[in-house]
Amino acid sequence: MSNKLQEIISKQQEQQSPTMELIDDVVQLVGFEVGEEEYSVPILSIQEIIKPIEWTRVPQTPPYVLGVFNLRGSVIPIIDLRLKFGLSSKKHTEETRFIVMKDKDEVAGFVIDRLTSAIRLNKKDIGPAPETIRDEGSFIEGVGKQSDRILTILKVNKLLERDF
Amino acid sequence: MDEFQEILQDFLVESFELIEQLDQDLVELESTPEDLELLNRIFRVAHTVKGASSFLNFDVLTHLTHHMEDVLNKARHGELIITPDIMDVVLESIDLMKSLLHTIRDTSSDSGIDVSECVKRLDIAAGGKGDVEVVAAQETSEEAAVEVEAAADMAEEEPNYDDMSDDEVEAEIERLLAERKAADKAKREAKKAASGDEEKQEVPTPSAPPPQAPSTPKQEPKREKKEESKAAPAVKKIPTTVEQTIRVDVKRLDHLMNLIGELVLGKNRLIKINDDVEERYEGEEFLEELNQVVSIVSLVTTDLQIAVMKTRMLPIGKVFNKFPRMIRDLSRELDKKIELVISGEDTELDKSIVEEIGDPLVHIIRNSCDHGIEPLETRLEAGKSETGTINLKAYNEGNHIVIQIIDDGKGLNPDILKDIAVNKGVITEKEADKMGEKEAFGLIFRPGFSTAAEVTNVSGRGVGMDVVKTNIEKLNGIIDIDSELGKYTSIKLKIPLTLAIIQALLVGVQEEYYAIPLASVLETVRISKDEIYTVENRSVMRLREEVLSLVHIGDIFEVERVFDDSEYAYVVLLGLAESKIGLIVDSLVGQEEIVIKSLGEYLQGIEGVAGATIRGDGGVTLIVDVADLIHMSKSIKSTINNDESATVAASNEKNSAADYKVMIVDDSKTDRTIMKSALDSMGISLIEAADGQEALNILKSGDHNFDAMLIDIEMPRMDGYSLATEIKKYSRYKNLPLIAVTSRTGKSDRMRGVEAGMVEYITKPYSPDYLMSVVKRNIKFNF
Repeated sequence: MSNKLQEIISKQQEQQSPTMELIDDVVQLVGFEVGEEEYSVPILSIQEIIKPIEWTRVPQTPPYVLGVFNLRGSVIPIIDLRLKFGLSSKKHTEETRFIVMKDKDEVAGFVIDRLTSAIRLNKKDIGPAPETIRDEGSFIEGVGKQSDRILTILKVNKLLERDF
Repeated sequence: MDEFQEILQDFLVESFELIEQLDQDLVELESTPEDLELLNRIFRVAHTVKGASSFLNFDVLTHLTHHMEDVLNKARHGELIITPDIMDVVLESIDLMKSLLHTIRDTSSDSGIDVSECVKRLDIAAGGKGDVEVVAAQETSEEAAVEVEAAADMAEEEPNYDDMSDDEVEAEIERLLAERKAADKAKREAKKAASGDEEKQEVPTPSAPPPQAPSTPKQEPKREKKEESKAAPAVKKIPTTVEQTIRVDVKRLDHLMNLIGELVLGKNRLIKINDDVEERYEGEEFLEELNQVVSIVSLVTTDLQIAVMKTRMLPIGKVFNKFPRMIRDLSRELDKKIELVISGEDTELDKSIVEEIGDPLVHIIRNSCDHGIEPLETRLEAGKSETGTINLKAYNEGNHIVIQIIDDGKGLNPDILKDIAVNKGVITEKEADKMGEKEAFGLIFRPGFSTAAEVTNVSGRGVGMDVVKTNIEKLNGIIDIDSELGKYTSIKLKIPLTLAIIQALLVGVQEEYYAIPLASVLETVRISKDEIYTVENRSVMRLREEVLSLVHIGDIFEVERVFDDSEYAYVVLLGLAESKIGLIVDSLVGQEEIVIKSLGEYLQGIEGVAGATIRGDGGVTLIVDVADLIHMSKSIKSTINNDESATVAASNEKNSAADYKVMIVDDSKTDRTIMKSALDSMGISLIEAADGQEALNILKSGDHNFDAMLIDIEMPRMDGYSLATEIKKYSRYKNLPLIAVTSRTGKSDRMRGVEAGMVEYITKPYSPDYLMSVVKRNIKFNF
């Protein structure tokens, strides 16, 4: 899967490279589904994407913290985004993935239902989060407008923040 | 600016090293005031610090050391006899110097500390002469060594720095560096001479036996020290020798240790894989070779680990060094005669532990001086010698280092301790009644507890011993107190040698595993459940003469426990600092070497979890924080004797035929269909699995509560026997009926089935009715 992702990304880069349109104005995102919604995070905040592997439960944590898993020798927490976003837990399927995100020194894995695609967005196409949910506790960084859909961009540092 | 920082760093490192030795020397000096070599050494320290600090523009420090130098110089030239009073002033000035250095380290400046008082007294000690400046100038020129002259020049030129050109500054720096280098070399040689050169040990000891100052702590290694000081100048004449040591940044060692940690995990994994391979390909030739490689790798890894650990080891003498001085001050302050006997100061332990152990020892020794050793008259009345003795010793014991502090003072009286504790509200009377002698001794570690009638400078605030407890707990150490009234008090600290890689006991509860640091495990026992009593909602057991409170690991870690009807329980007896507790676990897995890894920022500070480790199979196992666990156990209600959980009862309730669930495990689609059609008429829910592995995954997911399983024997990936064995490993499924459905008809096959935990054995072909009746019987079907 991550290979496929790589392919898609490189293909996209090929398409765009001749123009080299103001690299600073473009944000690259990775889209994924949790429940019915599609979300995305900046590609640079993703360390890697892996298939689900076994994890160990950690006591005294909220239900959305599934536990910790071993990523090539590092012990990393794993958080279920379905539970975190208030949805019911679902059995892992063939499409379930762990997205390992990092922000400075903090690293954690997040369970998502399905990867969608890598997306390039112009900064001008990204609007602020709707006012009603734009408070301190919100996970939403902004909303990306694409021709056919609207994309919620998540705050990685907020996701990686311990809130219990 | 960077260059300056670098020089400053060097200066600080050097100064702290010098001062450490200084304390020791000064106390020694008091008992042998005419030891010229010793005096010279002390003088040189003051001088070196003065020279460097004036160069670095630390005026206050320069001012102070300058006056110290005066006093010492006079003593050196025999113009001044070091009396205890003068010594007090000198020691005070050294303390000031230390705090100045600390300030410099923290703020890069030496302002904020007032030294004028001390300087005044130093002047008085030096004879109150006003022309100190002149004396200082003379004395420096007398000093033969070039390096000293350079430093002295520096001190004089100091105010002109602003006017100097860059080149000149550069030259100054070089000169100073040269001086520092020379001093370093001399120091190294002195050290080398001290480190056990046999010939040098024979250098005659000083001729005049030193008159013993009345209240001076004596110290065992003194003789050796003196030899060292005599030996040092002798060696200095030897031309430059090859450098034997190298200074390494601690961070590099830490990194190396981390890498070794990874290697150890890799080794554990390799061993596990080797075992698996051995089982599967028994008798194959390549196994021999694999075995050899694995054992070499594990051997080398172990050696490497020990070697790296050793590089981080420091002799505990580094900590012990400061105690002679402390005892000296305390005995003067308290007006007691106290002798400190140190032994085993060569015992080595990890640097990080050496750093943690200092404070607790200070508190314990202060306590021994203040509360332990009686005043002179009391001692004489009790028929003891006038001088009290405190024994401070360190030795190795297995994977631990033991530090013992014994005083021959008045000892601890358990009854009085209990009374005080009750009065101060630390414990209730009821608790006091139940306490044994050892537990009563343990009271001294409670916060807010103090036996001192009034708060003195030295102790009595009821804080110190609590600090001891906390620090020792942090190190996973154990405290053992022993005492006999009127004779002695002994406090034993047992501390693991290293912190990064530890031995752990792996225990299981339901399907989870936890690692307990072996350092905290006193023993493990298997008891019958009848031996567990409930007292005031707490479970307790009697072990030999002790009553232990018990807690189930499942209660601590919120493990969902299902009814288990085993007669026995395994109890892991945990000891930490002064407390003990019994931890009930479902199974004991074994001992393993584990590497402590942090859970990361996100999961930091989870109560009861000290970290995690990666096991041989690549899985993560949590490491139990024994201190937390003991703390948590106090607030947890016992559920040990009523473990039938409500959830199980609810899920077992059957309202309709469809509430029954049976899993069919067979690799043949046809066979599965035949079984399904046979059971269809019952109306029960059927789940299919194509092989053992899949069946196990379905069970593990916990999505269904099965009432029975129909299992084929011959299947790919995992056969029926293995599946049954695996299932029976989970205590949750201990009572799940497993029914073999197979074309294997041999008696031995049936036997294997029974061994694996199967309750029924149906041979193919079978009649649908027969299958149905067997299933009905096993799931207690009543619709």
